[in-house]
This record gives sequence, C-alpha cells and structure tokens, in this order.
Amino acid sequence: MHPHCSIVPPHLLAHLAAVDDPRHAVAARAARRALVQLDPLLAGREEAFAAPVPPRTAVGRPLERRISDAGGQEILPGTLVRGEGDAATGDAATDEAYDGLGATDALFRQVYGRASIDGAGLPLAATVHYGELYDNAFWDGERMVFGDGDGDVFGRFTRSLTVISHELTHGFTQYSTNLVYEGQSGALNESLSDVFGVLVEQHHLGQTVDQASWLVGEGVFTDQVQGRALRSLAAPGTAYDDDVLGRDPQPATMSDFVITTSDNGGVHINSGIPNHAFYLTAQHLGGFAWERAGRIWFDAAVGGGIQANSGFRLFADVTQEAARVRFGQDSEEHEAVRQAWAKVEVTG
Amino acid sequence: MRIEISRSGGFAGMTRTWSLEVSPAEAEERWLPLADRAAEAPQEEESRRDRDQRDRYVYHIVIGYQEVTLPESRLDEPWKELIDRARRGSTG
Repeated sequence: MHPHCSIVPPHLLAHLAAVDDPRHAVAARAARRALVQLDPLLAGREEAFAAPVPPRTAVGRPLERRISDAGGQEILPGTLVRGEGDAATGDAATDEAYDGLGATDALFRQVYGRASIDGAGLPLAATVHYGELYDNAFWDGERMVFGDGDGDVFGRFTRSLTVISHELTHGFTQYSTNLVYEGQSGALNESLSDVFGVLVEQHHLGQTVDQASWLVGEGVFTDQVQGRALRSLAAPGTAYDDDVLGRDPQPATMSDFVITTSDNGGVHINSGIPNHAFYLTAQHLGGFAWERAGRIWFDAAVGGGIQANSGFRLFADVTQEAARVRFGQDSEEHEAVRQAWAKVEVTG
Repeated sequence: MRIEISRSGGFAGMTRTWSLEVSPAEAEERWLPLADRAAEAPQEEESRRDRDQRDRYVYHIVIGYQEVTLPESRLDEPWKELIDRARRGSTG
C-alpha cells in the first residue's frame, strides 16, 4: 500500500485525467502527472504518463441509473421508481440498487476510464422486487434483476454490493469478451463477474488486499443458513457448509475441476479456479487490488485477445501478456500473474 | 408416480432438488404429455435475449421414463405450478 499524499482523491484525479475537453487540458495534464507521482509503481513508466486512462476510452455520457419496481410480479422492466439524481425512495432494495450501480460505475469509469458497461455511457437499468419470494438475481441482457429472496435460504439480494456489481459486470463482459456461457468459457464469464464484483466493493470501501473479505454475496443468506457468503476468492470451497444446502462446491485448482452437465457445465463451480488465480495475483502484489491485478484483468478483458470460447489456458496466457505489456517483461506484476496461474495448475 | 426436479445455476450456483408424488392418472394426463412435447420439440433457435441471460436457473425434471431440461426463461405456467407444488412439499 502506498501513501496518498494528495488532497485530491485518486479517483477524482483519474476522472480529471480522462477529460479530453481542450478547455481543461491543463487540469487533465496535471492530474495525469499527479497520478503518476501518487503511485510510485507507475513512476518512470512512460506509458503511465501517456495513458493512466487507456486512449480512446472517453468518459463519455455521465452516469445514468434507472431503477424499476416489478411489484412482486415476474414482469420486466416494471415501473420506474428512481432515476438519476432522484432522492432516495426509502425502499431498501431500490436505494441499494441505485447506490450499487453507482459504486460499480465508479470503478469502471474512474479507475479504468470506461464509461458504463459498454464504454459509451449506456444507461444502467435494474429491476427490484421481481417475482414473489423470488430467490435469485440475474442479468437479462439489458438490465439487472433482483428478487427479494425466499426468506428461508436467501434474503434480499441487493443487500450485498458484490451481487449488484457481479450482475453489472455480466453486462461489461457482454460488451467486451462476450464469453460463451458454458463450460470453461462460462466459468471465465462468471469469474470476471466475481473478480470485478469484489473489486467494486474493495474500491468503494477503500480496502487493501489484506483488509478485504474476498467474499461474493456476503449477507444474502438468512440466519438459518450456516455460511458467510456464496463464494470465496481467497479460499474457494469454504464460503458455506450447511446441513440442507451442502458445502460450497468450488475448486481452487485444476486437480479438483468439476465435470458436470448441470449449471451450464459448472460455470458457477469451476469459476473458483480463475477466481483464485486472481486472488493469488492480488495477494502477491499487495496494496489495492484494483490498481495492478484488477488493471491487468481489465486490460485482458478489453484487449481483444480473449475469444468467446476461450478456456482457462488461453485466458491465463492473455492475462500474462497483459501484465507484460503494461508493466514489463519479468516485472513483479508479470511474475505474480505467472505464478498465480501455475499455483492453480492451469499452466505448468 | 414420483417426479424429481433438480434446479441448478442461479447467482448462487447451488443445485437444489425437490420431489413430489402424483397419482398415475395425473402423471399420464398432465405431466407426461407435457414432458413428451418438451423432449420432442426441436431445439428452438435461442433468441438474442435468451442467449445473453446470465445467472438464471436451469431445471432438470424427471417424470417416469421421461427427462427434460428447461431454462428458467422457458418455463410456462404448467411447469411453474409443478415446481411450486414440489417446493412447497419438500424440505430439500
């Protein structure tokens, strides 16, 4: 972790650095320099001066959120109940969804310079109170949809920021790699949602690698379930162990890869392997995970090297290449990624 | 006749199973014809909307000799009724 010496917070600097309005050119240039001085890891790396935010990723249209209420029916989109800038409604699910979309957009826009999930400022839409005792949250290709839970196993899904950021990252993946939702490519699709899902929470709370829980879905279980969360990137397979639900089935390494026809070929199960590779990379590097490990995964996702049907091995190669390109051959970052994929037995 | 329902996927990625007993007459009149039609129906081309959905459930339903796998987005009312009955009557 490096000290923050600037009175201007890093996310604001990143925002300023990305402004391409000629009227603010001086401020943008100053912000880019401040960012480099802020982060000694980037000092001396000429690409950091040129592009703390990737070129051609304009900040674009400002954040626009639209939260609708399905009123307990299985209908979409439901009735619009809170638009961008509207006051809090007092309805927990509505306001949690609104805030969660904002926190997710903040990571992608302020840290990685991506305007919304499509890079072009697409409005972010969500529907809450979907269905009766509906025990799921999903991405429907256009919006996030949240149930209130069955009250038995699951409570309200918006209670966990990582659930909201996970779903919104499915939108990011749809507009970037569009990994096929089956088998290993599907597990990578799920893993990207878990990785950026936890990064959103860490960025929102200002947590370092060591301070973060690395849990997905903490707080969505009712008190009747023996479990902390749905998944753990730090220790796949340990998130819950319940008499009725059974044990978290996620593997951490290829030795325990699960072959199954259910869950679209185990997309929520084998995602534990790339999840753990990301965690190991972040742990190796320390500090704020979104700065280096997250940047490498983001670069990999938008760099064009990942095909829709990519498996773990190709993804591992692309993230190693992304680390090499941004941080240098045999840099600490390059080595961290290489060791992580070897530890989870994806590479030799 | 025993009907077994297995639900996988969803955000949680947990597989849940439920079952219910129905009379042979009900199975033959309502559920087996429905399962036969679902099993024999040609694979419809996925709409773009279906293809882009993530974290939805997948149901695997076994009724006697017949098995069908249905994505949540394709569950119509008779199936929902069957699943609701199984969930209400099961602890699993």
